[in-house]
Parts: sequence; C-alpha cells; structure tokens
Amino acid sequence: MKARHWVVVAAVALAGVGAWMSRQAAGESRGGNVFPYAYSVDDLPNGLRLVTVPTDYPNMVALYVVVRAGSRDEVEAGKSGYAHLFEHLMFRGSENFTPQQRDDIMKRAGADTNATTNQDRTTYYAVFSKEDLDEVMKVEADRFQRLKYAEPAFKTESLAVLGEYNKNSAEPTEKLDEALYETAFRRHTYAHTTMGYLQDIQDMPNQYAYSLEFYKRFYTPEYATVLLVGDVTRERAVDVTKKYFGGWARGSYKPDIPAEPPQTEPRTAHVDWPSPTLPWVAVAFKGPAYSDTAWDKAALDLLSPMAFGPNSDLYKRLVLEEQKVDDLGANFGNHPDPELFTVYARVKNVKDLDEVRDRILGTFAQFTRQPVEQSKLDATRSRMRYSFALRMNSSPAIAAALAPYILLTRTPDTINKVFALYQQVTPEDMRAMAGKYFTDNNRTIVTLTPKAGTQ
Amino acid sequence: MPRRLALVALAAILLQPLTFTQGASVVQPGTSPLIVFRILFTAGSASDPAGQEGLASLTAAMLAEGGSRSRTYQQIVEAMYPMATSVNWQVDKEMTVFTGTTHVENLDRFYALMKDMLLDPGFRQDDFTRVRDDAVNFLKVSLRESNDEELGKEYLYNVIYAGHPYGHHNRGTIPSVQKLTIDDVRGFYRDHFTQANLVVGLAGGYPKGFDAKVESDFAQLPAGSADRKTFAAPAAAAASTLAIVTRDTRSTAISMGFPIDVTRSSPDWPALAVVASYLGQHRSSNSHLYQRLREARGLNYGDYAYVEYFPRGMFQFAPDPNLARQQQIFQIWIRPVEVNTGVFTLRAALYEYDTLVRDGLSREAFEATRQFLTKYSNILTQTQSARLGYALDSRYYRIGDYNTYLRDALAKLSLDEVNRAIRQHLAPNRMRIVVVTKDPKPFQDAVARNTPSPIRYNSPKPKDIMDEDAVIQAYRIDVKPADVTVVPVEKVFQ
Repeated sequence: MKARHWVVVAAVALAGVGAWMSRQAAGESRGGNVFPYAYSVDDLPNGLRLVTVPTDYPNMVALYVVVRAGSRDEVEAGKSGYAHLFEHLMFRGSENFTPQQRDDIMKRAGADTNATTNQDRTTYYAVFSKEDLDEVMKVEADRFQRLKYAEPAFKTESLAVLGEYNKNSAEPTEKLDEALYETAFRRHTYAHTTMGYLQDIQDMPNQYAYSLEFYKRFYTPEYATVLLVGDVTRERAVDVTKKYFGGWARGSYKPDIPAEPPQTEPRTAHVDWPSPTLPWVAVAFKGPAYSDTAWDKAALDLLSPMAFGPNSDLYKRLVLEEQKVDDLGANFGNHPDPELFTVYARVKNVKDLDEVRDRILGTFAQFTRQPVEQSKLDATRSRMRYSFALRMNSSPAIAAALAPYILLTRTPDTINKVFALYQQVTPEDMRAMAGKYFTDNNRTIVTLTPKAGTQ
Repeated sequence: MPRRLALVALAAILLQPLTFTQGASVVQPGTSPLIVFRILFTAGSASDPAGQEGLASLTAAMLAEGGSRSRTYQQIVEAMYPMATSVNWQVDKEMTVFTGTTHVENLDRFYALMKDMLLDPGFRQDDFTRVRDDAVNFLKVSLRESNDEELGKEYLYNVIYAGHPYGHHNRGTIPSVQKLTIDDVRGFYRDHFTQANLVVGLAGGYPKGFDAKVESDFAQLPAGSADRKTFAAPAAAAASTLAIVTRDTRSTAISMGFPIDVTRSSPDWPALAVVASYLGQHRSSNSHLYQRLREARGLNYGDYAYVEYFPRGMFQFAPDPNLARQQQIFQIWIRPVEVNTGVFTLRAALYEYDTLVRDGLSREAFEATRQFLTKYSNILTQTQSARLGYALDSRYYRIGDYNTYLRDALAKLSLDEVNRAIRQHLAPNRMRIVVVTKDPKPFQDAVARNTPSPIRYNSPKPKDIMDEDAVIQAYRIDVKPADVTVVPVEKVFQ
C-alpha cells in the first residue's frame, strides 16, 4: 500500500481586503523540504506579489521580476515573437529614465542585469550590492509602469531581435524545434517558438501600435511577481516594493489561449538542412501540464531520466556501447498548458537514423508495459533532490531556480509540494502515466538531415 | 528508501571564505554543505606534441568521461546518478581542470569515484573510440557548422597564433585527433598528470582533515617535472589582415584582435580591463560598442571586447575560471549581422576602435567603468566554485586574492595611466580580422577598392549618427589585398 503523505502547507488565509495582504508562508525551513529557505509572500492591493527570500550570502541582492507573458500569449496570427520583443523594448527607456540614464545607474551599481523569455514568461533580473537596492528598484519600477519608447527606437530594437535570430540561425536544432512545435500543435500558441517566425520578426518594425497594445495587456501588476533574494529583510523588501510599485494600476486583459484539441493521428515532419551536419531525430508526445497536486506530470518527470538520461539502458546502448548516437536527452518542462515530452538524438551516421528512432519508440513503449524497478526509482528521486540542492549556490541561483515555479503558482511552496509528489509516485503510477500519454495518436516525430551529399 | 536530505544547512552562514595556499593546494574551508573540487594541472593543449594536437583534451576527456581501472564508465555514471553529480573537464593552453560538486552527505562516495577516475584511469578502447568521435564531431559539426560566432572567435586564435604552441584549437585539428591512439593518451597522462603540475583546489564544509587526505592521495601521482615553460609572444603582424571563412549561412559573423603582452600578472592589466569593459563589457548594454552598433543602429544582437580568452561566450554571462595563460589577445566580437550590412559593420567597429586608440577614455567614462568593475568582481565570484577557480588563477598569476587585488588596483588607477596603456598596448594597424560569411566579395571589394558600403535604416536617425555614418561607409579597412585570405569552412581545423 502506498503512502501518499502530502506535505501539508500551512496556508494562512489572506486577510484584509484593500490593505497589504501578507502571509508568512510555509517556507520555514523544515527537514526534508527541498526548498529549504524561509521566505515571505506579500500581496499588494493592485495584484502585484512580492516574494522575499533572505539568504546568508552576504552583500548581494538578486531582483527577479517574473511577468506572465510568453510566446504562449501571442494569440494573433503574424504576431509571433512579441513577448520576446518586449524583453528587448523594456530596455528602451521609461518616462523618468532614458536608456542612457538607466544604463548609468546600473553601471554605477556594478549590476548584472538582463532578461529572458520562454513560452510562458518573461523574466527580468538585476544582481547588485544591497546598498543599491533603493535605486535599482526605483529605475526598474519605472519601466514596468511607464515604459516609453518612440517609433524610431522601436524599429531599431526590432533589428536587434533579428540579430538574435541570426546568431541562432546556424544551429540546426533551432529549426528542428520550429518544425516540431508547429507540427505537434495546430491551435494552441505553443505551435510557434519563443523567438517567432522569421517573417514575423521581419515585420516587427511595422507594428509599433501593436507593441503598445501588448504592453498594455501584460505589463500590469496582476501579471507580475517581484522576487527579492539575498541580503535583504522582508521588511525592507516590502518597503521598497510598496514605495516604487505600489502605484502600478491593475489591468484587465485576459488572454484567450486556444486549447489544443486532442491529437487523433501520429504526425511527422522533416527538415532538409542546407549545410553539413549530423542528422537529428526528435520523438515527442504531448504531456500533461504542470501540477503540484496531480500525479501525471510528476510520474513522467521521474520517468524522463530513467528512460532517456545518462544512466538509462537506451543511453548505455546507443551512446556508450554501440556508439551510434553522440547526443541523447529528454526535454519535458513545466508549463501551465500541456506541452511536449521530447527525446532528441543526434545520430552519427544517417543510415542508423530509422533504427535510432525505432529504438526510442520502443523505449517509450516498454515503459507503458513494465513498471520500473523500485531501486531505480529511489535513485532517481535522490538525483532530483540533490540536483535541485546543488543548483542553489548563490542568491541569483536561488532566484533563478525559483522563477519558473513563481510563474506557475506565484509561490515557492509549490516546489516542496511537487517534490513531495515525487516521493509518493510508485512504479505502477509511472507505468500508468506512460500508457496514458505515450500513445501513437499523441506522437510527433521530426527528423533533420543534411541535404544529399553534404554529410 | 533514500534518507531525507538535511538541506536546511544550506541556509547556514556562508561568508566569504579565507583562502589558504598550502603546498600544492588551494583550500577554502567553509560551512556550505556543497563541497567543490577543482583539481588543476598546469599542463594543457600547448603541451600537445606536434602532429598530436588535441591530445591533452582527449586525455582529460578519457579521465572524466571514461572508466577507471576498477569501474567502467557506465558503473561510474550509475554510482553518481543518485548524487546528481559528475566530474567535468576543461582544457586550455596551459591548464587542465577537473571540477565536481557534491553534497557533503555524499562526499565519501563521490570522492572515491573521482579519485579513481583521476589517479587510476581505465583507458579502455571503447571509451577511447567514443571520446575521440566526440572531439571530431565537436570540431567538424558543432563548431564548424552550427555556431558561426564561436567558429569565428576560435579561428581568430588560430590565425593569431599560427606556428605557436597556442596555434591549434584546444580540441585539436580533425586529422590530428583522428590519428591519436590510446597509447598516445597513456603517454600524455604519464608525462603531464604529475605532482609537479598538480594543484588541488577544495572548498566548502568538508570535514576536518579531508583536505590533507586529498593531498596525500594525489601524492600517488608521479613526481614528474613541471610543464610550466615560457611561451613567447606570437609573431607580430606587419599589418592588419583579413581572413574570410566561407560557408552557406544566413548571416555574417565578425571577430578581430591582436596579441597583447599583458596578463593578470602585469601592472597594466587593470587599465586594460577598464578599457575592455568600457568598449565592450561582455553581454552588457553598458558599453560603447554595444551602444553605437546595436542600440543606435540596430546592426546586431551585441558587440563586446576582451583582454582574456573567453570561450563559449555565446552561452555564458561570466567567464569560466582556470583559463590562465601567459599570452593573451585583445579581442572584439561583433555578433552576426545581416549579409548586406557586413562590411558597414566591420568598418563601424574599426572606426570605434581607432577612435578609442586616438582619443582614449573620457574622465566620465573612466570613473563610471572603474566603479562598475570594482563592484562587478563580487558578481563574478559569487559561487564557491568561482571563488575557488579565481583563487587558483590568482596563484598562477601571483596576484593574491582577486577581488582585493582588483579593488586596490582600480582604486589607485588614474585616467592618465589608462590612456597611456591604450597608447602602449592598443596600437592600430595590426588587427587580425576574421569574417564568417557566405559572400566574401563585398569584403574583398572594400579592401581592394575601398568600395563604400552605405547603410539604409528602417527609421530616421539623429544627425550625429548620420554624420558618423558618412565617415564609416567609406572608412578605410587598412588591409592590403594580398593580406586577404578566403578559407572554405571545410579547411578550418584541418
């Protein structure tokens, strides 16, 4: 009999409408919590959330602002890549700070500042000395509330985005992914990459008005979470967040993201790569969305390294013994909507491509039939916990580890919940979930080979 | 069932550690439950015998990605799997480092594996075939055919150091690697993985006496003799040169640079560090080239400058430690541009560089950059692994604690010294330029006939930009036509 002990989190009810709503979250360090830091969660009346994680790493503070706007939110045709474009535009000046003034402030602070975008979120960060907290918060808050860029600057920045596309364009896996996602998804916006289609990027300079609309939609407090990690107290964090972000007006936009209908047939696609490369195969199944309460994703998260990681039988055979493949790995991220569980393999000789594909498929099928060994499951649980612990080696590393979870649930607590789920999943759960998701009709396979004669 | 992890200790006090150099060790004892190893050998690809380029890297890969005598590689992977750890390797010209991080709860098990891998390697033929294939495919596919900017940067080093012990990529050349044998690896291991080349780096909350145990274990290595030889400066270029690597690719990547006789050991290093940061701080908008090329003109994604080797820059925000060298170059990295703006962008970069050499830094730029670097060193050394790595490099360069060294040097630095260092070390007219593109002709024409390369923008530009562009579009690329070479990509790393 399996013991499914939930890590019960003391969620203190939110109190006081219209006032600062606070709860000392459940993060008080308790043995066994994979996220061991005490933290606090404070909600502003405008919908902005602040998560503060004081650490003992001295002097430095990491500020992460996670905005729930990613390529998933790009619902209009011809408008792929705008969440990412916005990551760029946010450095183009605000009402009270020109880009030059912002740069000067960050330079004086010796700050490391940048931003990233993926399907679901745009994450802005700055890492700096604690004495610069006030000034950094002031300049950051201005751009979230009062971004201001003229059309010429917008057009110029859209070319920097094209430059980013260009610098990635020599890498075959970028094209492989583009083909994979547009084949697997037909209605949902996961069909296009975060970078977006080249023709949409090339059209960006003509879309100034749309860009203003995009900002209005997503750059509002209910879409954002401020994360302060490092040499900072909750009191100080609340104080500066309230001071600089307190006047941010709540928005009203609700994206209508089309649901992907159930796939009813296996799908394939192929990419002809114009220059020499090694062939690739990607085998993908639509998997479950992130959840810290349902078993589906947790079971497949555990399955991923067991079936396709460096310790898996398939890896041992294809990479180490037969040496037909020089790169093998699975990708199965945490997303708010169902996304892909994908296995990628780079094959050393094109004659082995079909066989490698079939053996990946055979491995998926095997896990739908046979439960994994308990000892291997235990080793995998251990690996996942240590892996998470080893990542958290500085304040920005802790913030970076938290940011994806903040997007999903707006609280670090979900990490302990999902790791508690991992502890409870059984071999039979994993087999059942493999059987549920790894079906022929739920599958997309994409191959990439160099054009004839160039390998 | 696995025992529950007491990770609470992660939140323990983690103050900046003291560094102790004791014999052949650099240790930073602390309270973190994460234990970091950096096992360093002061031997690298500059010690590759002629015709066996890539041997140092292949030897390191065999240790970290091959079995020990008592365990196959599969058994090692399996043993490390529940600990979520591994042994990683990095080879540069004069250094080979093996890194690993483990939770203190797994220290004994991890260390037993790592020790065997480094001290008692298995050197099996099947491991050898695999890691040699990896090296060939890295050069042939990953670098030559998938990443134009990293290709351009690495080829620049090949050009600058042609005929020098630094003259080949750390992974070797494709034909040299294909010829290597497992006996070559055995021989390189025996001759270079010696006590004379060894520095043990260890940090974290390891138990008392553990550092002494590691030192004693590694004393099993043969005494050997140190590799540390003197590497001369590469042959000086008589004039600037242009190498055009041609391949079927969408955009055009540009790198350029020249050797400097300044390393972290030199009195002028802090001054040149300020110059490189001002001109092109890595991945930062706070720098001149980025502002002029990307922000003002939208030419590409970024533009940076360096005074130290920084491989894998397109994937990383901070440089890896343990790439210390006796010889460094000054480098400008222009990220890929549209094919039709390639020549203009090259001219713009040369124009900005020449302006810097002519005018030096302003008082304001100097003060702001100095302040930035003084604080930014704390960001570079935030993790235990980075601090340990920097401490090992400081031992190599004999400069003491890096942050203290830099802070003190910057505090004493004057604008006059920076501008004098520019005049002394950044002479014009000896730039080695590497371009990766499908279309060499516009570059050849620009060199041969100074053919102008006017640019059209998609939006109005301020007058100062337009005025500057009028100069840049016909700015002389100071390369003689005879010093232009066109290299098909399949000839690179051959």
